[in-house]
Amino acid sequence: MARYAMVTDLRKCVACHACTAACNVAWGVPPGHARTHVHVTPLAGTFPNLSSSPYVAQCNHCEHPPCVEPCPSGATFQGEDGVVRVDKGVCIGCGYCVTACPYEARFISPADRKVDKCDFCTPRIARGELPACVTTCTANAKHFGDLEDPTSEVYRMVFAEGARRIESGTIAVGPNVYYLGKPEHLDLVAASFPPRPPRLLAAGKTWRSLVKPLVVAAVAATFLGQSVAFFSQLWNGEKDFED
Amino acid sequence: MKTSEIPLTPVPLTSELAEAMLQRQIKKHHVAIMLLHWFNAFVWLFELLTGLALITSPLFRVVPEWYVSIVEGAFGSRANMLQFHIALGVAWIVVFLVYGVFGVRTYLSQEVLKKEVALDHDDFRWLVVRTLRILGRSDEPLPPQGIYNAGQKLFAFVIYAMIPVVMLTGVVMAFRLFSPAIVGWAVVLHFAAVGVVVSGLMVHVYMGAVFPEEKPAFFSMITGNVHELFAYSHHFKWWREMKLEEREWDEQHDAAAAPPPEGPPESVGPPR
Repeated sequence: MARYAMVTDLRKCVACHACTAACNVAWGVPPGHARTHVHVTPLAGTFPNLSSSPYVAQCNHCEHPPCVEPCPSGATFQGEDGVVRVDKGVCIGCGYCVTACPYEARFISPADRKVDKCDFCTPRIARGELPACVTTCTANAKHFGDLEDPTSEVYRMVFAEGARRIESGTIAVGPNVYYLGKPEHLDLVAASFPPRPPRLLAAGKTWRSLVKPLVVAAVAATFLGQSVAFFSQLWNGEKDFED
Repeated sequence: MKTSEIPLTPVPLTSELAEAMLQRQIKKHHVAIMLLHWFNAFVWLFELLTGLALITSPLFRVVPEWYVSIVEGAFGSRANMLQFHIALGVAWIVVFLVYGVFGVRTYLSQEVLKKEVALDHDDFRWLVVRTLRILGRSDEPLPPQGIYNAGQKLFAFVIYAMIPVVMLTGVVMAFRLFSPAIVGWAVVLHFAAVGVVVSGLMVHVYMGAVFPEEKPAFFSMITGNVHELFAYSHHFKWWREMKLEEREWDEQHDAAAAPPPEGPPESVGPPR
């Protein structure tokens, strides 16, 4: 099975937003939302030695996706190819996964009120095409391929050219979107757009820590009570009620 | 038992009288109620089976993973399972709404609320004695009960409080109403309310299907009838009321039939 990954070469990226536009068109993403976000870091350093870098954020299809576990209905799942997908037929739009994502890659789409995000253009790669953002990128900065294929472009970029993940010391969930660039630029990107800790909504916390134990306890207690009654019924023998 | 001698409290019956009462059937439930009951039971069975399998997150799941796989496999996909859960739930709500529209005047009358819903002193006493008797700690006779006993009334309260929560939160989730935050809370409330209902439902099923003393009540949900002895021994207040009505009917009837003394009138029927 493949292990899909994407590499964005920030040395080539000109922050033109063509990837976002192509994605929005390809998937009919509602206005005001996007599956990719093109950012530019704030200026760093002192004049005249200033530096800045573009950064394209999207779903990272993490090795250990924090969005999967809190999804109550199992709509969010990780495919065998490593791609994290949403089964829209099961999504109920509760938003638990949105706050769980360290990269803010998810949003609730106003079109169907279900969660939406990059899925590496699953229908396109199933047809053997490249993702829309990759084919559209004006600077040819985006690359897509299979990390398990040593002849692939992304394999070379990750294992030979040192493309790296945007992670922090505490949040390291194994993103499969890699970035090429000067080390100081990548440091600047990691410092400017660090992944944030996954959050479970208050509703989810209440459910997990309070409601679920209470319900289980209530049903178990009733069951125990019934068992006592049932065995005492067996013990005492059944009396016909005409007595 | 003659209508002229209706006791205030249950008295011991002679065996002939008990035998006669055992043979006489009394109507307890309308067909509409019985249909609704079994429709409701069917819906709860399948909604629980699919609902448990719909919670797949390891954070919230209460059933083992293999159970989820089995139910999912039975429906072909998780999406189909959710569609079924929603469709059946919506059908359930529609049926109850229709029932509510036609039944609200009957079931929300002062008289019904007082006799069939409100708990009185005997009911509280009944709850204590019933529990002690099940545990074999008491031989005290059960206090007289109306058409529904205190346990049934308590279960009804649980149902009345929780069913609207289950319905509303279900609709909110199914159609993703309001905002994601509200849907997020609806999931929790839906689960909590169903949990409360299931706790009560277990007692309800046990009492109806397993507990020997209530067997006539179980069959009354199929035939609509209980025999008079059951009404006398388990729902004395209800029995007494029927007898009083019967006597009243008889007296009016006798008065009307008084002038021509020869023979009984032709139209003899039960009072209700």
